[in-house]
Amino acid sequence: MSTAAVEALQAPVTHAVEPLAITAVGAATPAGLGLEALGRALAAGRPGHAEPSVQEGESLPPRPIRAVPDLRVTELIGRKGNRHLDRTTRLGLVSCRLALDSLPVPVGSRTGVVLGTSTGSIRSSSEYSLETLHQERPYLVNPSLFPNTVMNCAAGQIAIRHGLKGVNATLAGGHLAGVQALRYARNALRHGHADRLLVSGVEEFCAQSAWGWHQSGALSPDAAVGEGAALLVVEAEDAARSAGRRVLARVLACETGYADRGGLARALASVIGSALGRSGKDPAEVTAVSLGATGLVGLDRIEVRAVRSALGGALPDQVVRVKETVGECFSAGGVLQIAGLLGLWQLENTGAARTAVVPAVSRDGQVGCVVLDLNAPVG
Amino acid sequence: MPEPETRRVVVTGLGAVSSAGIGAAEFTAAIRAGRRTTSPITSFDTTGFPHVHAGEVHDFEPAEWLRRIEPTQWGRSSQFAASAARLAVADSGLPESELARARAGSVMGTTSGESAVIEELVGQWSADGLKSLGTDRVGAVPAGRIAAAVNSELRLSGEALTLATACSASNYALGYAYDMVAGGDADYMLAGGADSVNRWAHAGFYRLGALAEEVCRPFDAHRSGILTAEGGVALLLEPYDRAVARGARIYAEVLGYSVNCDAEHMVHPDPTSIAACIRAAHRSAGVTPEQIDYICAHGTGTRTNDATEVAAAREVFGDRIPPISSIKSMIGHTMGAASGFGALICCQALHEGFLPPTAGVEEIDPALGAGVDPVPGTARPARPQVVQNHGFAFGGNNAITVFGRVA
Repeated sequence: MSTAAVEALQAPVTHAVEPLAITAVGAATPAGLGLEALGRALAAGRPGHAEPSVQEGESLPPRPIRAVPDLRVTELIGRKGNRHLDRTTRLGLVSCRLALDSLPVPVGSRTGVVLGTSTGSIRSSSEYSLETLHQERPYLVNPSLFPNTVMNCAAGQIAIRHGLKGVNATLAGGHLAGVQALRYARNALRHGHADRLLVSGVEEFCAQSAWGWHQSGALSPDAAVGEGAALLVVEAEDAARSAGRRVLARVLACETGYADRGGLARALASVIGSALGRSGKDPAEVTAVSLGATGLVGLDRIEVRAVRSALGGALPDQVVRVKETVGECFSAGGVLQIAGLLGLWQLENTGAARTAVVPAVSRDGQVGCVVLDLNAPVG
Repeated sequence: MPEPETRRVVVTGLGAVSSAGIGAAEFTAAIRAGRRTTSPITSFDTTGFPHVHAGEVHDFEPAEWLRRIEPTQWGRSSQFAASAARLAVADSGLPESELARARAGSVMGTTSGESAVIEELVGQWSADGLKSLGTDRVGAVPAGRIAAAVNSELRLSGEALTLATACSASNYALGYAYDMVAGGDADYMLAGGADSVNRWAHAGFYRLGALAEEVCRPFDAHRSGILTAEGGVALLLEPYDRAVARGARIYAEVLGYSVNCDAEHMVHPDPTSIAACIRAAHRSAGVTPEQIDYICAHGTGTRTNDATEVAAAREVFGDRIPPISSIKSMIGHTMGAASGFGALICCQALHEGFLPPTAGVEEIDPALGAGVDPVPGTARPARPQVVQNHGFAFGGNNAITVFGRVA
């Protein structure tokens, strides 16, 4: 599609750009804990840790795996009340702790949470369901584990442990979860449902989802099933600046759309175009793309085609494929695409201005795009 | 951030797939009559369960309602959502082709997503191991497909967002849809929710001691808990000016909403936090407590919920609590769809002029204190002007929407 055609498809811009500032990032990935570990692995082209912790007697599908090596749960989320937390909630709490620890002062109670998932912990819900079939009586399930089967468990735990009384939202976005969560956060901040938001995506590795991916045929044979979580602390840019907080990057746009299977590439190109339009950026200014569909049969090519089309033919100089390090992380993928970029940018530390597009595309029809920039002149 | 300029937002289409009927008219008639529509469970084998009642939609044939998506490729919750959305659009009188060309999207709430699909896969796992998981069913698992089904069925090109904030999720969805339409990001939004009855939630609620044996009786001294339920609900939201210009029937105006989090406990609600949510909803809607004519309660049917909800209302309304009723007494707890059904009945109450009842109340629990009017029995004729709709959830996720009559 030509640039002109993309422009023609752009939705009318109804608000002036109100950038969000990202002021902290926490990442728990197969590269290790922290943004730096992810940045270094991506810079070196190094795949993450490949040995998941499996439960006894559990078989895994014959395909590559990426898993977070050590969550340091006791150290990072404390000893108290951990026994019944599932891996999804642990990943969420650890990424949250890592992000908040990088801030000089605690976030206030008018902070909220927007967490992206797809099913919550599929291990927790499916094992709970299995218990109803295997127990002597179908109701002899463990009541303490019941909250784990509900998708908003991780977001609720994050709020409880940090006293966050602002909006607490969980969204089931799958591959769109990152852009949808930022979009939800932008709206919630605009309407005063919180002053600051912890925008997160979490996906745990478990035998259930590994076999699910394997059986689905949606992943190419050499693509790894992964896991991870990242959490971005965001607020309105002017609020961050006036509080003197360090701005790691700005979110200029987070646009979404929908199309049938045959129209995905065109719809994605269109949404990238409108996200750039809303950001006040010309396609020529884009210095980086952080791809999300790597390893997904059919979608990976659709994504690259759409990015090329929206940017006028060529990919930008910097092309990041975070999944080569972290594996397929489904609903954590979007925030990990962003974390990967930020990890690399911090490592490079050149002081050069950058603009990145972060596309998202789902087999079901959702498309989206986040536009980020760094070192833009203040004023 | 500065508040953006806003457009007035109204509800012009209602769609329901529920144990109380398919279509808003059938649903509303059952609620007005105070008819209990819960029944013995048939979707799973209840052998060994002491309590076996739920609000299942027994007579739902997706192919009867869906024209574009192939029902077998989608889970039950997605089928509910897409059918309810199609019904809402038909009810609105808006030509489908016009909607498909407009800036339109959907936002749907859920608690357990495609739980029926997950349980089907658990059955395969139990029988033959994880390597036997069926390829087509695996693809139907993501809960994000609930909103996707709505967009696919109606060919919407805007956002398709599924919110998973458990039992207040439809109110979250309505609030977000309201913002999108008010702020000019979308011209039409379908908002609501969907969930399916499932074995694991039935077992979990039973083990928590929260499951009623046969009758859900909120506000009654002899209440014994919730009944799990299922269904799909959708409301069509559009700008007031557009609705007037096309001569649409306007059920109600969305006046505002609020969301907050207890941040205290995963399963015990907090009255102070809920009271704060009510006050914030009133501020958002630009109304005062005296203007509220009716509260559509979260009203699950547990002692804890009733005590908390009434205490929160008392904090805000003092001793003049508006009539407060629970439609869960008739359809059970439809989980992520619950506050969507509440919103639908609020719109009908404003439009047709009645207060929805709480069925089965024989003796209002004296422990709730004086002045609690749960509208026992059948609907009461009335002319409510402003009503509020409660949704509370696991994780302390509170969401309240406020609707007003459009003169």
